Amino acid sequence: MTRKLSALLCAAALVAAASACSSSTSAAGGGDATGPVTLTYGIWDPNQKPAMQQIVTAFEKLHPNITVDIELTPNADYWQKLQTEAASGTAPDVFWMSTTRIGLYAGQGQLLPLSGRPGFESSPFPASLNGIYTVGGKQYGMPKDYDTIGLWYNKKLFDAAGVAYPTAAWTWQDVIDASKKLTDPAKGTWGIASPDWTQENLYNDIFQAGGWVVSPDKKSSGFTDAKTLSGMQYALDFITKYKTSPTAQQMTDTDPSQLFASGKVAMFTDGDWDALTYKNAPGLQADVAPLPAGPQGRATVINGLANVIYARTPHADAAWEFVRFLGGQQANAIQAASGAVIPAYHGLGDAWVKSMPQFHLQTFVDQLDHAVPYPVSANTGPWATADQTILDQIWAGKLSLNAGAQQLKSTTDADLAKG
Amino acid sequence: MPVTRTVGAEAASPSSAGSAAGSAVSVAAARAGARSRLARRVVARHGHPREWVWGYLMVAPLALGLAGFYLWPIVQSVYYSFTSWGAFGGQQWAGLANYRAFLSDPQLPKAAWNTVLYSLLLLASIPLSIVFAALLNQVRGRSVGLYRTLYFIPVVSMPAAVAMVWRWLYNGDYGLINYLLSLVGIHGPHWVSDGRFAVYAMALVGIWSVVGYNMIIFAAGLKGIPRHYYEAAQLDGAGRVRQFFSITLPLLSPSIFFVSVVTVISGLQMFDYVLLMLGRSNPALADSKTIAYLFYEYVFLDHEQGMGCAIAVVLTVALLLLTAVQFRVQKRWVHYA
Amino acid sequence: MRSQRLWPVHVLLAVGAAAMVAPFLWQLLTSLQTLGEATHVPPTFLPGWRWSNYAEVFTSMPFLRQFLNTVVITVVRVAAQLLFCSMAAYAFARLRFPGRDVLFLVMLSVLMVPSQAYLLPQYQILMHLGLLNTLTGIVLPGLFSAFGTFMLRQFFLSLPLDVEEAARLDGAGPVRIFWSVMLPLAKPGLISLGVLTVLWSWNDLLWPLVVTSDAGRMPLSVGLATLQGEHVTDYPVLMAGSLLASLPMIVMFLVSQRRITEGIAFTGSK
Repeated sequence: MTRKLSALLCAAALVAAASACSSSTSAAGGGDATGPVTLTYGIWDPNQKPAMQQIVTAFEKLHPNITVDIELTPNADYWQKLQTEAASGTAPDVFWMSTTRIGLYAGQGQLLPLSGRPGFESSPFPASLNGIYTVGGKQYGMPKDYDTIGLWYNKKLFDAAGVAYPTAAWTWQDVIDASKKLTDPAKGTWGIASPDWTQENLYNDIFQAGGWVVSPDKKSSGFTDAKTLSGMQYALDFITKYKTSPTAQQMTDTDPSQLFASGKVAMFTDGDWDALTYKNAPGLQADVAPLPAGPQGRATVINGLANVIYARTPHADAAWEFVRFLGGQQANAIQAASGAVIPAYHGLGDAWVKSMPQFHLQTFVDQLDHAVPYPVSANTGPWATADQTILDQIWAGKLSLNAGAQQLKSTTDADLAKG
Repeated sequence: MPVTRTVGAEAASPSSAGSAAGSAVSVAAARAGARSRLARRVVARHGHPREWVWGYLMVAPLALGLAGFYLWPIVQSVYYSFTSWGAFGGQQWAGLANYRAFLSDPQLPKAAWNTVLYSLLLLASIPLSIVFAALLNQVRGRSVGLYRTLYFIPVVSMPAAVAMVWRWLYNGDYGLINYLLSLVGIHGPHWVSDGRFAVYAMALVGIWSVVGYNMIIFAAGLKGIPRHYYEAAQLDGAGRVRQFFSITLPLLSPSIFFVSVVTVISGLQMFDYVLLMLGRSNPALADSKTIAYLFYEYVFLDHEQGMGCAIAVVLTVALLLLTAVQFRVQKRWVHYA
Repeated sequence: MRSQRLWPVHVLLAVGAAAMVAPFLWQLLTSLQTLGEATHVPPTFLPGWRWSNYAEVFTSMPFLRQFLNTVVITVVRVAAQLLFCSMAAYAFARLRFPGRDVLFLVMLSVLMVPSQAYLLPQYQILMHLGLLNTLTGIVLPGLFSAFGTFMLRQFFLSLPLDVEEAARLDGAGPVRIFWSVMLPLAKPGLISLGVLTVLWSWNDLLWPLVVTSDAGRMPLSVGLATLQGEHVTDYPVLMAGSLLASLPMIVMFLVSQRRITEGIAFTGSK
């Protein structure tokens, strides 16, 4: 009995002692190119994991000495974890990067430049995506996919109200008129859902109005510009003026994409990534049209992910081989077939479009012609988060649009000044 | 407080031992017996060295664990509160900058008020649980177990799950609560997405989830009150209400004190419901943040760890002060039988 | 006569009980509807028998894996706390050694400090040990409990001295006395601590939320919070998931109701 107890005590003491001295460093695996190498690949979307696994399997077949482990972190925690891991030198060797974070990670030396690597080729990808992932003249991200925004609509509600489906010829006024006809308080249905979401709603309206968010030199923001304001006003009017959209509170209690999926909302501007959700929603008969033209014509926000290499990876060459493979035709074809995203590789959108024939998915690909890159700066995260808080207040009616726009400008400009 | 009592005893013993030594009559005798007497005194106070070894060994795992995972981290947090962190690590001494920034943070007054308000509202669970405990005390037989079970289900349910259920109940358009209100002609608000209501809505859930727990503590306290007190009061002609206020409440006061300390401590650390019932993008969030939520936001979302640690230090000091005040004030109203 | 006087008591208690249970019934109802049925105005009080919401939970989160994680985390924490806390509590209550009371007070100070005061450094310790995203990492700090030590010490102090004295006269050493005399006597206290630790561990959110990001290594509480992150307000699926996550604890409570209530009543009396 005594011996057992003291053995336990010793074990416990060891555990405690090991944790008390917290300076142990994780040993990095062998970095020589000839020996077997294990790479870690950080991603956040569970829907895309099967496709990523297929790509990894194909890659491992070509490179028998390299193994790739996929690490899936839910989107809500991905950036928080990544930043902490990068600070301690333990980030994955290769990971997904978004347009909002590329400035921070590339600017702070956390990524390896891809430009100049043997066999690097950026021509198969949309120029706007290459541009976003280029910092200080060097490209850091291998574009993976892209997304644009479309006007989703509920065919049943349109038929019931006797309104013709949206077309490429629609303008803002057409959307406003239709939203009025489609709103029926007695049935609890709204013509449109217009939340304060930037990528899906506001930024598109701002660009269609001819406004701007961040200046080309990344030194100031355009929230007080008259055109920018008119774009935001258009989005807000659906709630305050025409009362054809649920309020901010209603859209917090029940997410607008859920309101659309359950047939409560007739129109909703949303990205291609929700196509799968709308396809699976019971009883929903939806389709998608191009975004309407604003006072300054057509515009849709384009955003997209890229694969990047961690600067402190011990296996830089193997990581590059993997990223190069991820940017190739074979890997992109696998992505396209999965139906989850539009692959960034030119000419591979077709397979994705055909994956859901009930929707006019070609709309999202066609809109590339007037796509405007998602606005970013050297460190987008802080001001994007702060802006959302202010927008929440404007949408909730606690701040007027003009006063809110002043706050948006001063907050964003202060963050931009930090570089 | 048994803790202070033991400490007091220890503090007293050296001085009494000293005076005993001072009054030693014979120097020679003292010298001769000094060694053995000292040893005996040590043994009397601290036990045998063999006992020491076992004492230390048995305390060691816990002491090392608490030191490594709690005490040392607390020291580190205090140090961090004086530093500023880079986006990818590296701390710099920042002096009092974090504290200054925190005290001038426009979010602070609202968050502090929300925290206090939530704790105060949570205290409303105490009278409610006493009433239910008193009612339960009247019932005999199988139904006692049934009631106790039903009241206790919210306590054992996972807060993450509870938050989701209530978020749905509170839904402005499709929630059960607003539907029931509409039956009596009231148009209910958007409880958890309207800044005017969210803190109250969260407090209601907090009360709902803790009533069963408190009720059991109070029911045990009520059982401990001797029957003959009530019988004597009845003979004196005291009615039910009178009995409740002159016998039940005073004799229950130790339990009430315990529950109120626990309630205030947990109320001041409120975080789960803000994150889970409101979520990170909610127009009501700005009006409903608590201090503990600010801490989470600064440390884990904004990566301003120094600032977060300053908040933790301030919260700790506030909690300690408040608990000290509660212990001080208890002497006036808590009756230990 | 007696039952006549009691009916208002039953009515009041029943109203309270209804308020306690109604949210769970509503949760069950919603979990079996489609989103369209759940958002119908006025509400439909009939279940749609849409079991696929539950299937959706299993595809959105590795439920069984997370359930097992939670069980393992809870069992290890309870076992460790019972062992470490009872050993230390006995030493603090009965053995005499220099520095005992100072040490006890220092340990106790942990009780007074909110978790925010040690969360970040704890996180960093685990990071340096390479234990983020591991069950070991989730479990480690919770193996040691100042509260449990305090509670069990109170319990040991309340036990009579004579049994111990008798054992000592029989020549038993401190370890023998602790293990074969005192621990059996302390069973009610140990059960109380065990029950409270199970409850706390099963429902614990903040710490595992901070140290895990891999869905396969999460306990249920974090898995559920993540499910909400993905399905934002798809209420039927969220209701199904939260019901499944709460159920084990509710069942455990129904099975060992008396023990749990006794355990809680015990902490309240100290």
